[in-house]
Amino acid sequence: MSIAIQLENVSKRYRAGRSRTVVDLVASSLNDLRGKSATVHSANRGTVDATIHALRDVSFEVPTGAGLGIIGRNGAGKTTLLKLISRVTWPTSGKVRVAGRAVSLIELGAGFHPELTGRENVYLGAGLFGLTRTDIDRQFDAIVEFADVARLIDTPMKRYSSGLYARLGFSVAMHSRPDIVLVDEVLAVGDAAFRRRAMEALRQLIEQGKTVLFISHDMWNVRRLCSQILWMEDGRVRASGPAGEIAERYMSEVNVEALSANATALQSHRGGTGEVRFASVELHRADGAAAGIFAPGDTVLVRAAYRAGVSVERPVFQVAVVDVDTGIVVSTASTAAGDVPAVIQGDGVIECRLERIPLRPRQYVLRLSITDPFQLASYDVVTAGPRFAVSGQGTGVDSLADEQDGLVSIPFQFTHHDGDRA
Amino acid sequence: MASLTDQPERMSLAAYWELLMNLTRREIKGRYSQSFFGAGWAVAQPLATMGVFTLVFARLGQMPSDGAPYPLFAYAALVPWFFFSNSVASGTMSLITYRNIVTKTYFPREIVPLAQIGSRLVDLAAASGLYVLLMIYYRVGLGPWGALVPVFLLLLVLFTVGVALATSAMNVFYRDVNPVVQIGLQLWLYLTPVAYPLSVVPDQYRLFFLLNPLTGVVEGLRAVLVFGREPEWAVVGISSALIAAIFVGALVLFKRTDKYFADVI
Repeated sequence: MSIAIQLENVSKRYRAGRSRTVVDLVASSLNDLRGKSATVHSANRGTVDATIHALRDVSFEVPTGAGLGIIGRNGAGKTTLLKLISRVTWPTSGKVRVAGRAVSLIELGAGFHPELTGRENVYLGAGLFGLTRTDIDRQFDAIVEFADVARLIDTPMKRYSSGLYARLGFSVAMHSRPDIVLVDEVLAVGDAAFRRRAMEALRQLIEQGKTVLFISHDMWNVRRLCSQILWMEDGRVRASGPAGEIAERYMSEVNVEALSANATALQSHRGGTGEVRFASVELHRADGAAAGIFAPGDTVLVRAAYRAGVSVERPVFQVAVVDVDTGIVVSTASTAAGDVPAVIQGDGVIECRLERIPLRPRQYVLRLSITDPFQLASYDVVTAGPRFAVSGQGTGVDSLADEQDGLVSIPFQFTHHDGDRA
Repeated sequence: MASLTDQPERMSLAAYWELLMNLTRREIKGRYSQSFFGAGWAVAQPLATMGVFTLVFARLGQMPSDGAPYPLFAYAALVPWFFFSNSVASGTMSLITYRNIVTKTYFPREIVPLAQIGSRLVDLAAASGLYVLLMIYYRVGLGPWGALVPVFLLLLVLFTVGVALATSAMNVFYRDVNPVVQIGLQLWLYLTPVAYPLSVVPDQYRLFFLLNPLTGVVEGLRAVLVFGREPEWAVVGISSALIAAIFVGALVLFKRTDKYFADVI
């Protein structure tokens, strides 16, 4: 098995902030004269000789033809890795070795000029990737077709929408005969249809034996594209290995942190008229233990404390599970007789039990509201309520395939019959 | 399959040339698109300056022009001057202007300032066209020494490339370079024999003028183009040596530092 990318004890340091100017020098020496500490000044201005260790002693190898996902928090060093591999920047120490052409999609269409037409920009952009005119001539139709911009190809790109801009940028990069493609969160732009095609194109590249490095916060996409994941943290490799396993560990850690940060906090995104307000919201398991992470099929107990400033007749409590990307997954309301007293006033607690949630592993938020009997006017709406996550542990999600796409899982079974349509 | 290497992929010469041409075209189009007068502005700048110089230096200041019509005399030097000055002015800022692609993709960095110079070559060609018309108007022919014009243009381009490479690279690290360059260029015009011939410079200042590589270029170009006579070889020799040294020095400086551009821009 040949190696496409090899990093050997790579470290990268940056000087933080802007470099010192004469004004800084004068100001800090004046401060010194007056006996003030210069660090106060530098902290305020966010500068002066602070060093950022973007990467510390990173070593790894990527075999040719692999899809490697790179995950981690912002500032973990993911983009620096890609910049080193694409030679945009150089390591402070260590070796970065690459076999073949590495094309980086850190920003789509970075080399385009808005005054030039799409056609001219294709030549300009592909030229930045090292292609000659004859190369581009040969690929031109394919580039235009993939980006679906034939109609506007002779229009200056300043008239393009940002999605179209990105599409042409992606298409040019894809057609520049790369051996290695470096993708950094760029698929966030563009519409859903294009995102799908872009993912498909990347997958085909891997099938053709090309190497793809994919940075994304979307674990779903990372796992669909990549068999291996590299988890970066504070400029170091925190873990690497099979995609399913690493993504799982990462998600549960991120979730635990996110949840501990805002377990009972209600976001300030409040609506409603305010006669009744939620005071706190907690999530529990069926056995009553507070929790933020659930497995598919678990029962979730939502316990919300409220305070009614005035007496309110026949209120309705609503609890909805919301997927951040797609919207409401399921919505519930306390409309059955006996759910809620006819009149509430003062403090109280409402519980909603979501039985055996059929949700796929993902992060969700709760949206809670209190409305009038007709569910028309709201007393209180917490639009981005507490988060919780469904984790895939023990459910065999390592083999994520297309048929497992979506938010909910239901039992299903296929049966095959021979012969004509029945 | 290519083997592992810690060096950047070498761009083929054809791809390098085409990228340079494409960026040059992008520069030209960006500068003159949606402008009614278009590339005419490339001619307007030396032409207007020629008019002012003729009024101030020739009419008011009685500046000698060694027997040639003063407007022609001044214009022949203003065209190369503005090529140099505009190239260096925009070249110095070019890596900053192009920070978007410098920090996002790898390609040979020197192409960015070179494209600025390439785009100014088009201006130079347009302005030279007007020079031909002026020659016809003043009935000044081109003698056999005119064959040396390309040599001086080459020296001009080499010097411009050298200066622009150095200032663009330094400007990435210290933004003070740009204002120094912009002010310096304004003064440099008057310290170069553009509005006046080198022959009026008193002997005690002559050495200072000879240390300016543009002196040899402008004087030489004017000798073969306007006066149709042999250039002063000593002056040309000194300038050529300086230009060669500056070019090599700037190239080394640029290639030594270009690894760090993306980090500090």
